[in-house]
Amino acid sequence: MTAEPPSPSLKDLEERLGRLRERAGLEKEGKEERGGKEAAPASAMGLAFRAGVELAAGLAVGGALGWFLDGWLGTRPFLMLLFFALGAAAGMLNVYRMVRAMNAPDGKTD
Amino acid sequence: MAEAHNPLEQFQIKRLVPMEVAGVDVSFTNSALWMVIAIALITALMVYGMRRQALVPGRVQSAAEMAYEFVANMLQDNVGHGGKPYFPFVFSLFMFILFANLLGMVPYSFTTTSHIVVTFAFAIVVFVGVTIIGFALHGMHYLRLFVPSGVPWPFLFLLVPIELLSYLIRPVSLSVRLFANMLAGHTMLKVFAGFVISLGVLLGWAPLAFVAALTGLEILIAFLQAYVFAVLSCIYLNDAVHMHH
Repeated sequence: MTAEPPSPSLKDLEERLGRLRERAGLEKEGKEERGGKEAAPASAMGLAFRAGVELAAGLAVGGALGWFLDGWLGTRPFLMLLFFALGAAAGMLNVYRMVRAMNAPDGKTD
Repeated sequence: MAEAHNPLEQFQIKRLVPMEVAGVDVSFTNSALWMVIAIALITALMVYGMRRQALVPGRVQSAAEMAYEFVANMLQDNVGHGGKPYFPFVFSLFMFILFANLLGMVPYSFTTTSHIVVTFAFAIVVFVGVTIIGFALHGMHYLRLFVPSGVPWPFLFLLVPIELLSYLIRPVSLSVRLFANMLAGHTMLKVFAGFVISLGVLLGWAPLAFVAALTGLEILIAFLQAYVFAVLSCIYLNDAVHMHH
């Protein structure tokens, strides 16, 4: 929120502020805990919605894409079946990625 | 009067000011009206809140600052380095969806985000924007996003289409999630509210209690879905900016 390269005095000040806050009980258990704890119940529900819609959307997009390609290339049922399966796989891949990101120790910031 | 209690009636688009430009219907509808109200409220919150930048913030200033900090943290957590330039976009997106969702909870209002046209428009803007950012930052190298590394080449014939589809799914799942949540929630509210009337004074209390609880849940969902939409936009941005899974 401050300038990109924080000067030593600013960093020092921030550290002191953080310690003061912790003592005052504004931040219960350090910085990492704060986001995780508050977001936990809400984002669990969000994740559930996300996973379900992701799977359904995979099928829908795959099926629709196959259907349009079929109409274009004149191969009526085959491409739709193929893309339906690919869409299902893609939906599962998306859910897998989402769950893996959830499993990472602390988000996926590098 | 019985027809008036159709639970889907609330989603009907009504033309308030009929207009037509070159044969295209561009009427000012109830949906547009509530979008304008949402934008006016957000602008009012930010402008009024930041009017006196007091060191000890008042209520409105605190709300404005909280909104800023929330989105800034979200961007920091999900995109990290190099996410700052996209803050205005993510902030506008989050605030608009949040206000549109919350305004939908006002009785007799209209929920703009319960229409897939609206949510899909947002999602496609995010999708196209992220794709353009990806190509602008990485050039043709961005296509490597679709080629998983460390895979024997015969598998690529299978995996590249899957990766491509998984990329194309994004705008659909993004928009369907928001729209379906809003549509389902508001329909359910209306249906149970209808039960209150039809069950009368004796039995009507049970659905009434349920509607009260559901209203609370709907307000939570209004926040949650705005948050999910913004977070996913951030995650997609992260893919485009940093390019790794």
